Amino acid sequence: MANSVNISIEAPIENQIQEITYDGQEIYQAPLSMSENLARLAQKIDFSKSEDEYCNIKKEGETSVEVKSDEDSKEAGYQSSQWPWESVRNKLRNALTEVCVLADVLSIAKEKRYMVLDPVQPEQVENRPMVQVYGRKKALAAAAAVLMAGVDRLRASETMRTARNMPDFHIDLLRLRQNWRLKKGSTGIVGDLSYRTAGSKFNQTGVFEVTKAAEEATAGAGAGGGAALRVAVPPELQGVAFISVLCQKEVVCGAEQEEVATAAAGGAAEAELALHWQQRLEAAQNVLFCKELFARLAAEAVQLDASIPHMVVGNQIMATVLPGIQLLIGLCHNNGQNNSNTHPESVKAEGAAGGKSEHDHVLEHSLHQLLRAVHHANTHHPFPHPATGPLGPSKRRCVAGTHSLHTTLAAHYTRCTLHSLHTTLAAHYTRCTLHSLHTTLAAHYTRCTLHSLHQLLRAVHHANTHHPFPHPATGPLGPSKRRCVAGPMAADRYELLEMSKEQSLLEQIIQQAQHFFMRRRSEYVLDTIAKEVKDPLIVSHWNALNSPTQSCVKINIMAYGYDAVCRTSLVVHVGEKTLKCICRDGRVRHLSYELQELRDLIYCQIYQHQMTAVQAVGRCMGWQLLASSSHLGSGPVEPLGNASSCLLASPNGDRMIAIRCEPSVGIQVFIAQSPRKDFFASELVQDKKWENLGGAFKEIKLEKMEGKNFLNKMELLMACLSSPS
Amino acid sequence: MGVTVLQQYPVPEHKTGTYVIELLTKRILALGATQQGQFLVDCESYLSLPQMGSTKTVHILHNSEQPASVFSILESGTKNIHVIADGLFDLLMMKLSQHYTSKKQTKIESKGPRFELGDFCVKFGSVTMNQNFKGILIEVEYRPCVMANAVWGLLREFLQGLLGPSITVQPPQHLLSRMNEIYAPIDTIYQYLEHFSAYRKVTGLRSA
Repeated sequence: MANSVNISIEAPIENQIQEITYDGQEIYQAPLSMSENLARLAQKIDFSKSEDEYCNIKKEGETSVEVKSDEDSKEAGYQSSQWPWESVRNKLRNALTEVCVLADVLSIAKEKRYMVLDPVQPEQVENRPMVQVYGRKKALAAAAAVLMAGVDRLRASETMRTARNMPDFHIDLLRLRQNWRLKKGSTGIVGDLSYRTAGSKFNQTGVFEVTKAAEEATAGAGAGGGAALRVAVPPELQGVAFISVLCQKEVVCGAEQEEVATAAAGGAAEAELALHWQQRLEAAQNVLFCKELFARLAAEAVQLDASIPHMVVGNQIMATVLPGIQLLIGLCHNNGQNNSNTHPESVKAEGAAGGKSEHDHVLEHSLHQLLRAVHHANTHHPFPHPATGPLGPSKRRCVAGTHSLHTTLAAHYTRCTLHSLHTTLAAHYTRCTLHSLHTTLAAHYTRCTLHSLHQLLRAVHHANTHHPFPHPATGPLGPSKRRCVAGPMAADRYELLEMSKEQSLLEQIIQQAQHFFMRRRSEYVLDTIAKEVKDPLIVSHWNALNSPTQSCVKINIMAYGYDAVCRTSLVVHVGEKTLKCICRDGRVRHLSYELQELRDLIYCQIYQHQMTAVQAVGRCMGWQLLASSSHLGSGPVEPLGNASSCLLASPNGDRMIAIRCEPSVGIQVFIAQSPRKDFFASELVQDKKWENLGGAFKEIKLEKMEGKNFLNKMELLMACLSSPS
Repeated sequence: MGVTVLQQYPVPEHKTGTYVIELLTKRILALGATQQGQFLVDCESYLSLPQMGSTKTVHILHNSEQPASVFSILESGTKNIHVIADGLFDLLMMKLSQHYTSKKQTKIESKGPRFELGDFCVKFGSVTMNQNFKGILIEVEYRPCVMANAVWGLLREFLQGLLGPSITVQPPQHLLSRMNEIYAPIDTIYQYLEHFSAYRKVTGLRSA
């Protein structure tokens, strides 16, 4: 017993192992059931063998019986008489018998001794043409009767209509359908005014109802060209609405700002009913558009974090554009029924203040354009297409980076792409039965072509609502192309955050207003300087039509008649809040929105121009430049810039001209000559040779001189000094 | 995006992963780093079904550093093919479930705090597979440089200083061949995949 050995006995595996899990457990396949086993055995039947047997049958019919009996004996041995394959075997046997008989018949027929096969004539179809003719005639008559009845009814209604001179409802409905979206509801015809198909996401519906105008009403209006169709627009969309943009100096008392809320006089409701449905629908759609625009702007005004917060009061948004200048955006909606939008006092206030400040048509137009651009961007995703909707990180991964940057990014990102997600997801879930990952990807990107069909239809919708303008007010909106490839380019969170920064409508319109003011101010400065300064001419060429937030002006400073000799040109880029001046020498100066800076710069440029021009004229006259300094240290301190001077000598060196230019004083010209005429030998300076030294400079009274302008005077001066005296 | 080096950190006997991470956190905070949230890198592997011929594995990885991207690496014998796509790729994989089956048991992730120290970004990740702790991975990124060759010395010194002399710091296998190339986010993913595969093998003996 001591050295007994443990022997473990394990039954051999009866069943096959299907799987071994990670913890080592073996999962067996279940043993086959009886029917499964049978099916497995049936698979083993060799059908090619039976074909051979069939050949044998053809030769000697009796053998088949033997085979069958053989099978029978096998079956009997296998199991009882009620074998599951009994019916199959019976059918096979019957078929075999039939085939055997057929083979026998064929072989007998082939011998042609006992049996002959003759072709059989097909049975003649009874053909009676007159019956057919009558049948057709009857059917045609029935169809014609239906058509004629319809024609009669139509004709009757038409004659009645023309007799009463009524417009046709159906023709009107057809026209309506050509221009508006209609659908048949359960009770009547409903239409949709909203811009949703064009990409709007405003949640107010623009449903209107189409009804047939009452008989008497149309009859009454018939003479006046009334329509047989009546549209019922919801009350909140009735009336006239517009967005008014107003730029004004900051007003201390709030009451005066009421001037914006204004509209046409009352009684519009009655007038409106008389309008044609087309105009009514257009007006209602405009109301909807203005409401969407204002709602968006108001939401942005509240969200935006400006240094001077934007204010939203009632239906007015106030934003500070530049210090002291306000931008007022108001929604004016006059629906004839309730006058809650128009304050009673505002109407009279408008009378007083209406003339004072004009509202800005350009900015209003730009606002409309901007919203249209947003709509457009909503429907027109940039390529590459199906990948437009990056999903953003999953919820769990959002939690992984809990610090503020990441969460804001994720929130922003998911919000931005929610819309595109819907569209792309739908596309994904309906397709995609492909075989390998990488072919799927390839197909995924070629699906763009399919998408372009959708795009074409979208383009048609877009063309219906987006009238072409030569206006470049469309900023980069919507998910940019860069953002679409953010995923595949593995952009990190900083890049994504950078990309998610988007300009809101309000920001853009404020920028445009700022630019408008900057442009107007610089125009004003340049014009006043050109008016004030006559001597060098100041010519400015504006290039202001390219962009709503950028324009540039080229300023040429030259003297009349001397523009070939010297010309100073500088370019000023007018931006939103700053000016960028590029001077002739290539130096770039950035100026703020304060006007005085531009003014000083132009004045400095003018005096600089005069100095260089005098030197150029001197060169032409053969005079020699002895010295020049643009920043002179002597003299009183200048309020702006420095005094500059130059010293010119005549060709034979006996005369000198000194020019001093101080922006605050103007230009002074001095001359001196040698040998000096007033040289008298004194006790200290006795020698005659000292008379060759230049004498004292004497100032010239420029205003008394002849000549059209400073350069002309200098030319004359040089000419007369050059001649030998 | 700079050069990133992934380094395994051994967990001593009778110590938990949290203890080691806390220890490292104390060390790096003492160096003057600031914690900047958490990070997460996860990896899920899909096996192709036998009908498609030779078995291929697709690894799907996400990195919280690139929140909008999904990285996928297709292992087909000798060559690895990677595709970087946006988040929709996850849904695509769902649709491909009849060709690629997910091995749920092998979903592995590295998760932990993220620190910034000057130009360095350091992440201490505890690797878990099915909630089972596997080990600790330390990721150090030097952000101003994109050439591994130029910055490897600096990174090694930093790692050596941070982890102590007992750890030998070697350049990652994946980077060896591409020391002179521009570093891309996918290189980080390859490093993670290398380590994840190693972790899976250590415990995956039974399933073999």
